[in-house]
Amino acid sequence: MSMEGIKPFEPTVKEVSATGSSRLEEVLKVIYESVSELNLQLPEGQRIEKSPAAVLFGAGGKLDSLALANFIVITEQKLDECFGCRVDLTQDDPFSPTTGHFGTIRSLATYVSKLAGIEDSHSRTD
Amino acid sequence: MKLHLISDFNLETLGHYLENDPSSPKLSVVAEPFGQVFPALLQPSQSSPSDFAVVWTSPEKMVPAFAAALDNIAIGEDGVVSEVQQFADRLRAAQKHFRAIFVVSWTLSPHYRGNGILSLKAGGVRKVLLKMNLTLAQELEDCRGIYLLDGQRWMEEVGTSSYSPKLWYLTKTPFHGNVFRQAVSDLKAAISAVLGTFKKLIVVDLDNTLWDGVVGDLGWENLRLGGHDYLGEAFVDFQRALKSLRNRGILLAIASKNEESVALEALSKHPEMVLRPDDFSAWRINWNDKAANIAELAAELNLGLQSTVFIDDNPVERARVREALPEVYVPEWPDDKTLFASRLRALNCFDSAYVTAEDTSRHQMYATHKQRELLRRGVSSAEDWILSLETEIKVEELSDANCARVVQLLNKTNQMNLATRRLAEAELRAWVRPENRKLWAFRVKDKFGDSGLTGILSLEIESGGAVITDFVLSCRVMGRNVEHAMVAFAAQHCTSLGLRELHANYVPTPKNKPCLSFWMSSGFAYDEKGNRFTWPLTRTYPSPDGISIRQPEAVECNPVHSSERVLVDAETASLKAITN
Repeated sequence: MSMEGIKPFEPTVKEVSATGSSRLEEVLKVIYESVSELNLQLPEGQRIEKSPAAVLFGAGGKLDSLALANFIVITEQKLDECFGCRVDLTQDDPFSPTTGHFGTIRSLATYVSKLAGIEDSHSRTD
Repeated sequence: MKLHLISDFNLETLGHYLENDPSSPKLSVVAEPFGQVFPALLQPSQSSPSDFAVVWTSPEKMVPAFAAALDNIAIGEDGVVSEVQQFADRLRAAQKHFRAIFVVSWTLSPHYRGNGILSLKAGGVRKVLLKMNLTLAQELEDCRGIYLLDGQRWMEEVGTSSYSPKLWYLTKTPFHGNVFRQAVSDLKAAISAVLGTFKKLIVVDLDNTLWDGVVGDLGWENLRLGGHDYLGEAFVDFQRALKSLRNRGILLAIASKNEESVALEALSKHPEMVLRPDDFSAWRINWNDKAANIAELAAELNLGLQSTVFIDDNPVERARVREALPEVYVPEWPDDKTLFASRLRALNCFDSAYVTAEDTSRHQMYATHKQRELLRRGVSSAEDWILSLETEIKVEELSDANCARVVQLLNKTNQMNLATRRLAEAELRAWVRPENRKLWAFRVKDKFGDSGLTGILSLEIESGGAVITDFVLSCRVMGRNVEHAMVAFAAQHCTSLGLRELHANYVPTPKNKPCLSFWMSSGFAYDEKGNRFTWPLTRTYPSPDGISIRQPEAVECNPVHSSERVLVDAETASLKAITN
């Protein structure tokens, strides 16, 4: 996975807690905010629940490719605003069924944490 | 209500935002296939003339010369203008399919630096784009029913993230969702403007809203208003913003908990007060509940609560009015007083599709209304009062000069409206075209002033008789016997044609009971079963005393514009749907 173009995680914009676990929870919180924003543009039956197990894209997922693209852009922007952390969530083809990191909110949070270098192996997201 | 999205890029996200938006009017969206702008304009899918359309295109796709300019290929500006004119021609031709078309002005990504310091020189990309938008605006200037929306403002609201290259490459959607949210707000306001459901009255608090401080405690001399003071300047600016709306025809009124004499003294005497007592059409300055005061103000001005906006710095008062009067729009108001003016200027609920002479002088008309009411208190009977007004009515046939006002009056009058037909201009022109139909507009003035074009009566002649189709009177002149004068005029016309009976069919709505009351007292025979009123023309319908009527002059009337002729038949089919 290339980290080129990704700013290292520096909580310059918004101070986050010192523990890795809190950081991952912060990522989850940002994803939930993104879900709220995305839901404003989704038809009623396509809206996403704010829970780690909520399925996003792929088998059983509610998002089509347009909604996923919007979700990616919203989430990238919110990560930048909250963490000063510019990540590219399309590095690994998000539309590929084999990539899988947009499978659930939990898998996305883990992926974002890895991508931004804020992974904590002890953290729990559910 | 249907809205067609016509674009050369993917507008599906805008469609979702529009359908999810809970504000009125609720819309169902028809997304035409993107990239098919001209076919969709020529033949939109499942369209009806009561539908609306949004046309949002990329400048480089609609105007090939602009694409060349982006590639730094020298272009002649005449070529650009010609291509924009062709686009405008296509829009005009599409007008027949829709009640209104909203065209979004062309924009460029803020990241595009173009030719740098040469961007606004001859052939520079930004200059060419300005010229394209200006040309389009000029081309559409006289097209009632086509409105150019300012897309640049939406981009500025969102900032540098307005354009998203990622979304473009992934989905062929150039804009971030936040741009579409701005667009939804303006599109809803635009549709409300065309439907005539925009707000017409602002009721405003005084202390800490119109000026800083409590006048009852400080005295008017010590209020913070104007001067070399940042807060004083902010309040002056807010008052200017209110006055600007008043100049556009929005009425101002006051609901304030104060001693009336103290508050009016401040409005009259403070040297930097922008709004004076004359600028307000009515006020309730007392210690009563503000919700009750607002309801009284709306009733006094003959406006519905749904036409009313209430502005108050105090969140408790705002919450009270929201709870007691849910139809009144109470915008959230910033704590930061330097933001009052910008908050007011950002409200989109005052947008109207056109501004008539009657709109801009409306506050003056209400001022003269007050004088009439004062006179009414000074005379012994209503009859004496009406006689003393020296009312003059001028009757006009429908013409190019008065059509916009007639359409506006027809579409926004609720109370004195016999059938409550809602028609677009082209539909009205089409309706009056057959020779057995007549429509007259009535201008009313009296010794206190000119109330403008305030009445409409249309009728359709059938075998041996005539039926009044529309009978519409502005609340400004109700109760001054203008109603009777209009009916007398129509009856005289029918008698001169040798007709035997004049009928009026009342179509009840939740709001037009005043119209029923008038007809019940009109002297016409009432058939309750069919809600039908009848006058035998063997008898002369009495003209009210003290009102003079000037007969219509021959006018240059173009019932159907040539550009609209094609849509007449198509629109006839939609008339029933709209009136139902």
